[in-house]
Amino acid sequence: MFEQVFFSGLALGSIYGLVALGFAVIFKATDVFNFAQGMFVVCGAYLAVTAISILQLPFPLAIVFIVGAAALLGVLIHMALIQPLLGRPMLSVIMLTIALSIALRALIEMIFGPQGRSLTTPMPTGVLMLGSVRISYLHLTAALVSWACMAGFGLFFRFTSVGLLMRASADSHEAAVVSGVNVNTMNRLAWAIGSTLAAVGGLFLGQLQIASTELEGIGLLALPAVVIGGMQSIPGAIVGGLLVGIIEQMASTYISPKSSDIVIYVLLLLILMVRPWGLFGQKELGRV
Amino acid sequence: MNTTNSQPPATNFSAWGWLIFWAGALAYLPTLLTERALFGMALSNTQLLNLGLTQINLMLISMLGALSLNYLTGCAGLISIGHAAFFATGAMAAAIFDNQLGWPFPLVLLACGLSGALVGTLAGLPSLRVRGLYFVLSTLAVHYVVAYVFLEYQFKFFDVVGIPYAAPRIGDFELNTPVRWYAFLLPLVVLVYLGLKASLQSREGLAMRAMRDHELAATSVGVDVRILRLKAFGLSSAIASVGGALFAYYLSNVTSEAFNISFAIQFIAMIIIGGMGSLPGSLVGAAIWLLLPSIIGGLSPQSNEDGGFIGKMLVENRAQLVQLIFSLLVIVFLIFAPDGVAGLARNLKNRIAAWRQRP
Repeated sequence: MFEQVFFSGLALGSIYGLVALGFAVIFKATDVFNFAQGMFVVCGAYLAVTAISILQLPFPLAIVFIVGAAALLGVLIHMALIQPLLGRPMLSVIMLTIALSIALRALIEMIFGPQGRSLTTPMPTGVLMLGSVRISYLHLTAALVSWACMAGFGLFFRFTSVGLLMRASADSHEAAVVSGVNVNTMNRLAWAIGSTLAAVGGLFLGQLQIASTELEGIGLLALPAVVIGGMQSIPGAIVGGLLVGIIEQMASTYISPKSSDIVIYVLLLLILMVRPWGLFGQKELGRV
Repeated sequence: MNTTNSQPPATNFSAWGWLIFWAGALAYLPTLLTERALFGMALSNTQLLNLGLTQINLMLISMLGALSLNYLTGCAGLISIGHAAFFATGAMAAAIFDNQLGWPFPLVLLACGLSGALVGTLAGLPSLRVRGLYFVLSTLAVHYVVAYVFLEYQFKFFDVVGIPYAAPRIGDFELNTPVRWYAFLLPLVVLVYLGLKASLQSREGLAMRAMRDHELAATSVGVDVRILRLKAFGLSSAIASVGGALFAYYLSNVTSEAFNISFAIQFIAMIIIGGMGSLPGSLVGAAIWLLLPSIIGGLSPQSNEDGGFIGKMLVENRAQLVQLIFSLLVIVFLIFAPDGVAGLARNLKNRIAAWRQRP
């Protein structure tokens, strides 16, 4: 029983980790605390519905469509909404992302109707028995793809020249500008990566459950995940996502289904009080 | 700056004139909206913008929320996305003290205010340790904690349909019609507005704004920012909590669903539209937020006759359309008018003053 819960938590946690990674990339690059990340997950699910059920593209092409459209969405949002608010107080930017998520939700409900849509992809279904533990192939695929994405982006940031430029411009905008890095392009790239990762998460969540705007709540669990892991830390986001997934499953199994949110947010509150910089973040020196 | 000081003395008289005009208009409003006629001249629904007294009353209750949030966020500089939690606290306190203990209504309101202040001070405690974004997140966490407590409370003592509230009475005056609610809510809002305004002009209010503008500078001149933060939080949440209790009474039945995160977000939207840090702005923001949906709804019968795509949209997806218009409104304000309606009004006033002074 315990292993069962643990593994499904791990699989869900991998998806959260993926979404949280996208969130952390955006936050690191542009200092925007993106409340619309949950809605990006929903957009991913509905892009999948569009590509697979409506346009009936072959699966590989559908993946290209989803990734391309999600990246485009991220770039457009950065160009049209985030850039004009450069240097504004934090609440303005937070509220902008909240308003954006409300607008996206309204648009999606107007186009696709308020009811959810079921999403079927040619990804393997069925159950793998590992001793006494049942693992659905879908969970397994989701976890594996998430891990592959996370590893891929880890390597990308660590070893490619574009990754280096992105890290440089996130570390210090001024220094990067002086060294001739086009910081705007890097920030746009960060938004594209962030929204794409969320969309991939949405693709899986849409199939594991159902593609509906309710997925936003699940996507928003990336917030506590990022804070628990440490807001400035990329590995922290992944570990935070895994932790949130496991804790959520444990709480809803062993305490009560209603309690999963509260357990995570109480943990968040505790972390904020004791170690505000999170498990992996660096302690910031604050003023007074 | 000189323009405001060197105004002719006649302004004093016109200020009183405006005050009397507004008082008269507000006193006449219930008659206008219930008889649907202006001084005996009948008006159609569309001419009245499809408004009823119910919307006006809900607007007045929302004004309490917007005022208290603007006091906290705009004036004390503490961002909170957990304002719905204090509304929920008020609704819960009203259920405890009225439904379960049977206290009289004025006492219940007082108890609601006090419990709101208590919860607010507790919710403000993280501000002693974290600031900025981390503090925003702690208010979000507080929201989820209170929402969970509310849910558990509702299911333990009441059931799925929600907590019922009887019409409150003060002595023999039972608040059971919209007009009576209006007569009760309007003075309350005016009182809260004047109280907050006085508090902002007091010594502590000045210290609070100094804290918002530069924490270090405020500390260095002897302002204890920690205490001040908790006080601001306590006062703001006490008002929000009273607002929540009144909201519950007015709807006569609430569930935990009523105080979700969008409920908190709407107050942030109100103060952004109205103008951050401006108390009159909060009133305008709340008015726009609460009255626009019914105005949009009022358009639909006409556009339906034209048929067409927009008319169809208005009928089928009204809720979504309202959401879309609101979120776009907030985005437009954030990008083009960051100081909200209050900022726009200030600009206009300065322009008029400059234009008048032209030789």
